[in-house]
This record gives sequence, structure tokens and C-alpha cells, in this order.
Amino acid sequence: MPIVSMKAVQKWYGDYHALKDVDFSVEQGERVVICGPSGSGKSTLIRCINGLETCDAGSIVVNGIELTQRAGSVAKIRSVVGMVFQQFNLFPHLSALENCTLALTEELGLTQSQADEKAMQYLSRVRIADQAAKRPAQLSGGQQQRVAIARALCLEPELMLFDEPTSALDPEMISEVLETMVSLAEDGMSMICVTHELGFAREVAHRIIFMDEGALVEARDPIGFFERPENPRTKKFLSKILR
Amino acid sequence: MDNLRFFEIYRSSEYLGLLFDGILISAGLTITAGLLGVVLALVLASVRYWQVPIVDRFAAAYVDFIRNTPLIVQLFFIAFGLPAAFGYTWPFWAHALLALTINFSGYFAEIFRSGFASIPVGQQEAAAALNLSKKTIFRHIVLPQTVVTMFPSLSSQFIFLFLTTGLISEIGVPDLTHAGVFIDSRTFRSFEVFITLTILYIVISLMLKSTLQIWFRSTIGKRVSD
Ligand SMILES: Nc1ncnc2c1ncn2[C@@H]1O[C@H](COP(=O)(O)OP(=O)(O)OP(=O)(O)O)[C@@H](O)[C@H]1O
Ligand SMILES: [Mg+2]
Repeated sequence: MPIVSMKAVQKWYGDYHALKDVDFSVEQGERVVICGPSGSGKSTLIRCINGLETCDAGSIVVNGIELTQRAGSVAKIRSVVGMVFQQFNLFPHLSALENCTLALTEELGLTQSQADEKAMQYLSRVRIADQAAKRPAQLSGGQQQRVAIARALCLEPELMLFDEPTSALDPEMISEVLETMVSLAEDGMSMICVTHELGFAREVAHRIIFMDEGALVEARDPIGFFERPENPRTKKFLSKILR
Repeated sequence: MDNLRFFEIYRSSEYLGLLFDGILISAGLTITAGLLGVVLALVLASVRYWQVPIVDRFAAAYVDFIRNTPLIVQLFFIAFGLPAAFGYTWPFWAHALLALTINFSGYFAEIFRSGFASIPVGQQEAAAALNLSKKTIFRHIVLPQTVVTMFPSLSSQFIFLFLTTGLISEIGVPDLTHAGVFIDSRTFRSFEVFITLTILYIVISLMLKSTLQIWFRSTIGKRVSD
């Protein structure tokens, strides 16, 4: 059973057709990279998966749960899908540790010490345990993004969504976040990453998807994608981005 | 102006006593109304945040009503209008306390409401993706950040409202303004009397302001700044 299965998904922002009849599925343990020009609908696509955007037609099934209008299905899906954002979106008044434990103590009923232990385990996992007591403003961008990854991992998701996780970072901090993502990949996490880090895509992706104007234009293994792109729009995009 | 007689009126312990009582009444009523007003404002703003059916409309209307009518009219309405209609008698200070509490709560509620509404979209999305309930989001994300970011606005609004409380002298409360007006009517030493009031209001304002600041820094602010 695929972990994500989207069929004939349509999304409109008013008059603007943001997702055009998208068929997309991801297998358990599969790592998919989505790239494409700005405004092509990459964020919209992955945000539909955990219900941050609602689609207007088509069906979305995540881990066997059909996404419907009812609130219950969204919550079930979110409990198995972690998300990492471009701007980190940490809670600024809480320490790194508290960012991680909030959902554990308030929603999952762990005691504070159980939650702390679990959070420290994942903060160590992203190699930032020594900064656990600091608040986001006291951390660098790369450190904040790793805390955000740990925060999502604390809920033990089946699937991780990354929406341009390194685009807001200074160049010298990109690699520490990518390394964290590579190590997640090595553990067999199912991942969908919107990113323009093509080195990362080549290294970890099973499949690379090129999106343009709300449609999936090309889906290939990394070697095929970079060496023998078929669609002219993919070629044009690659020639721009690879220079 | 005869310098030798300047401030001579304060040789009278009667006048000093009036001023002293006035200070206690003005500051006491303001602080009490401020505390009650903050609590009421939190309730009003929360009702709107939670969109409690019907009640939220009343809360919104109440806040608009308070912020768009003069305090003096609110005071007269509560001190004279309502007792005339319903036939009860309260001491002056009770009318003043009720009116000030209601008045303060309207302004504070608006500050809380804008604070609640100003949590960045990114944090709301992260909270949603983490499956946090609306209750957790309110209690652990919205409320604590609002209290911190809105504290300066609440504090300066409070000082501003303190300065308007002189109006309670109009319904007969012997507050600081009332004491000044009375001494002036007896002595006709308007310059000395009103410069005294000015200085006293400034001193009380600064004291209230710095007390609030010290309290904030040593409690809530401490977590945020270290
Ligand atoms: N809330 C919204 N309301 C209206 N239009 C929107 C909204 N969100 C996105 N859009 C439009 O939908 C299109 C796709 O947006 P989306 O954010 O999915 O693109 P993207 O591929 O992620 O681009 P980027 O690389 O810039 O992040 C864009 O043209 C955008 O302007
Ligand atoms: Mg995007």
C-alpha cells in the first residue's frame, strides 16, 4: 500500500488553477524530491497531503486514511505526517526542548519526564541536544531547522514532508540540515522534499518530480532526471539551475 | 506672585490630609479597576477568540460601545442613570469602581484581541501540523506570547486611563482632582493648587509605570530576556 496516493487532485485559488489533475503516489520508505519553478504548485501539493490546504476535487489517501472534509481524518493523517517548513516556524517563546515536548505532554498524555526524555533523544538525533535549553532566537538558522526536524520526529511520523527546508538558510548552514535529512533517509524514513538542492536529490531521492504550472511534468529516477530529461520544460529548468 | 506666601496653603493640615486621601483614592480605585479590568478583558477577548456563539457578538459590541462613548457619560450613566431607573443606592466609590472597571476592560480587551490575532501564520501552521488542539494552541502559544508582546501597550494604556480617572470627581468621589478643586475653591490659589496636582499625577504615573515594569521584568519578562 502506498503511503500517499493522490488521484485526480484539483486545487483552485479563486480563478487560479494551482493543481491540475494531479496523480501522485509515494511508496512506504520511498524518498521523493519535488522541484520546479516558483509558483508551480510544489508547496500547494505537499500542503494538501496533511490538510494545510484543502483540495477541490480528487482523492487523497495517506497511510490508508482517506482525507475527507471531516476534521477527524485530518487529525489522523497529521498524527502520522511530520512537516518541516522553510521558515522553521518554531514557537519563539519556548525553548528547543519545550518546542519538542509540547505536543507530547498536551496531546499525547506523556508525563513531563517521559516527554523530556523522548525529546532529548530526538534532539541528540539531530545533534543539537546541547542547545536544548535555548530559545529559537538564540540559535542559528541551521540549528533552528534541526530543532524543527526533531520536533516533527518526536511524534514518530510515518512520512516527513519538507517544504524548501534550506531555502531560508545562509549557505554555510545548508549542509548541516541536509546531513540531518540524509541520515533520516538512511533510516528508511518515507520523505517528500521540495528542494532545489540537486546534490541532495541525486544522493537520496528514489524519484525526482518536476512540476510546472500546477502539473507533474516529469517523474524519473535521479540519473535519468539529470542525464536524460525528456520533457523540454524539464530541460529548460535544468539548464537554468545547473548553468 | 509673592514668593514668601507660595505654597502657604499647605501649612493647613486639613488640605494636606485631603490631598493625601485623594492620592489613596485615585491610586486605589485605578489599581483595583485595572486588575478587575484586565480579568474582564481577558474573558471578553477569549470569548471572541473562541468564537463562542452569540456571546462573542455581545463581547464585540460591548468593547465597541465602551470605546466609543465618553468616560464621563459612562460615569453619569452608572452613578445616576441606573440607580434612578432601578432605585438602589451605592456609595460613590462603588459607582466609580464599576464604571472604571468597565471602561478599562473595553480598552484592554481590544489590546488582547489584537495580540491574539497577531500570532504569525507560520506558527499556526506548525501547530496544526503537530496536531495541537485549539486549547493547547491558545494556552501555550497564543496567550503567553500575547501577554509578553502586548505588555507595553497594556501598561501605557493603563497609565493613560489613570490620568482620565480625575473625572470621577464629577460624581462626588473625593479623589485627587476633587481634593484640588475643593482646595482651590476655598483658597483661590489656583496656580499653587494645580501645579501641585500636576506634580502629584506625574509622580503617581511614573510610580505605577515603573512598578509595572519591575514586576514584568522579574516575572514574565525574565523568561523571555535571559
Ligand atoms: N493562499 C493563496 N491564495 C492565492 N493564491 C495562492 C495561494 N497560495 C499559493 N497561491 C498561488 O498558487 C501558485 C502555486 O503556489 P505554491 O506556493 O504552491 O508554489 P511553489 O511551487 O511552492 O512556489 P515557490 O517555489 O515560490 O515556493 C502560485 O502562483 C501562488 O501565487
Ligand atoms: Mg513553495
